[in-house]
Amino acid sequence: MLRDVSRWYGNVVAVNGMSFTASPGITGLLGPNGAGKSTVLHMLSGFLKPSAGEVTVLGEPAWGNPELYRRLGLVPERESVYAALSGYEFVRLNARLQGLPDADRAAREAIRLVDLGDAADRSTDGYSKGMRQRIKVAAALVHDPAVLLLDEPFNGADPRQRLHMIELFRRLAAGGRTIIFSSHILEEVERLAERVLVVVGGRLAASGDFREIRRLMTDRPHTFTLRTSDNRRLAAALVAHGSVVGVEVGDGRLTVRTSQLGAFARAIPTIARSCDVTLRELRPTDESLEDVFAYLVNR
Amino acid sequence: MIGIIAALTLRQLLGRGRTILLGLVALLPILLALVYRIGGEDTDQSEWVAQVLFDGLVVTILLPLLAVVYGTAALGAEIEDGTAVYLLAKPVSRAKIIFGKLLAAWALTSVTVLVSALVAGAIGLQGVPGHGLLVGFAIALVAGSLVYSALFLMLSVFTSRALIAGLVYVFIWEGLINGLFAGTRLLSVRHYTLAVADIFVDLPRGVFDAKLGSVPAVGLMIAVAGGSVWYGIRRLQRFEIGEST
Repeated sequence: MLRDVSRWYGNVVAVNGMSFTASPGITGLLGPNGAGKSTVLHMLSGFLKPSAGEVTVLGEPAWGNPELYRRLGLVPERESVYAALSGYEFVRLNARLQGLPDADRAAREAIRLVDLGDAADRSTDGYSKGMRQRIKVAAALVHDPAVLLLDEPFNGADPRQRLHMIELFRRLAAGGRTIIFSSHILEEVERLAERVLVVVGGRLAASGDFREIRRLMTDRPHTFTLRTSDNRRLAAALVAHGSVVGVEVGDGRLTVRTSQLGAFARAIPTIARSCDVTLRELRPTDESLEDVFAYLVNR
Repeated sequence: MIGIIAALTLRQLLGRGRTILLGLVALLPILLALVYRIGGEDTDQSEWVAQVLFDGLVVTILLPLLAVVYGTAALGAEIEDGTAVYLLAKPVSRAKIIFGKLLAAWALTSVTVLVSALVAGAIGLQGVPGHGLLVGFAIALVAGSLVYSALFLMLSVFTSRALIAGLVYVFIWEGLINGLFAGTRLLSVRHYTLAVADIFVDLPRGVFDAKLGSVPAVGLMIAVAGGSVWYGIRRLQRFEIGEST
């Protein structure tokens, strides 16, 4: 949990007055490079002291509290792992440093979770980027932490590895763990996060389900694609409605831009019925996080 | 836990090219002793071993060079390459981390310098009385390794330029300034080491005499090593990661 947290380096403000509480489940920290995501994760993981405000994890202060790491797992963004060790040795080392009674068993289990059993006895020197990401995840999971912090966890992972990790994180979250991960890849956040925190310029620009974030932007036109029994007739009726700012007919579909999402949503069935047009499909065309994010960054 | 950390650190330090390089440097005193013996120099063997081999080469160059490389790399290399995060994100007290790192750096420095010094010394002293030189310098080198390692380990938590700072200390402060201003020897690990050796060496004054008394030297060794460890722990407790990201 962050409460009124700021962090600055000299004259540079990295995080400015940020507050949020993450509950069990998956929370995505979304923002461009340099937005302050890593600083937030570093403060949550106890590696950075907040310049102002309070950072707590599981009710305990994150800063200067090594005992917290018994319940906290961390996957750093940097690729490096101990070069002289095999994947298995690396994960077992993490288990031993956690003081686990059966480090061997815990290491094997964590490696099985990330599906890296075949390469476990190879030196991490020869690992691909994706394999390093997975062995880092295994090391972070080896003590079965209640909270897992992941900094850009999908860097270098191929689509199959990405899918596997997404499934793994979902399973872990379903088991009651709190997972917070950062990403600048909108698709990753959209696919994985139940809750999104959009960080822009060190501030929390928006938070919530990404559709909730979308609804916050009432002043931004939304675009819908419609397939109807008579696109031209419906288009003519829609331009007369106050919520519609533009229509376009072509390629067998009708594209409508609206500045008032709620009013448009309420009016469209009535308008269609009044001009005797059947609505076959109505879907938003700009619901990707990319659009949401671009708007938040630029507004 | 200290043993786990020390073992990991030893493996990291030994697994790198620097070990081969430092191993070659450690061969220099042995080669020098062989050249001295084969060359049949007519200087006094004990005097040569005390002044040239041990004081001039082993204590002044080899010991601090090994200690500065291993001491600053023990934790500094992990901080630099980002792997320190795996150690720091564990429920392990920062004191244990420092002690584990110190143990590894000290062990590696002292074993390397001891093997080099004892073999070279034995060659140099072959056929003449030892005057306590081997025992005295062995004890002094182990003690000096500890103080240097603690000092340079602390430096690595203090600055990312620890290796440069350490080399400046060794070659500018100890190598140059100490020779110009006698008072500065109070802050010289090299002079502490020589003073400890002097406790056991029974060569006449003028042949080998340390510039510091043994009692203040031992006291200062304890103070510098203890102070470095204490400050290193304190710095590590407040150590931040993430400024550059």
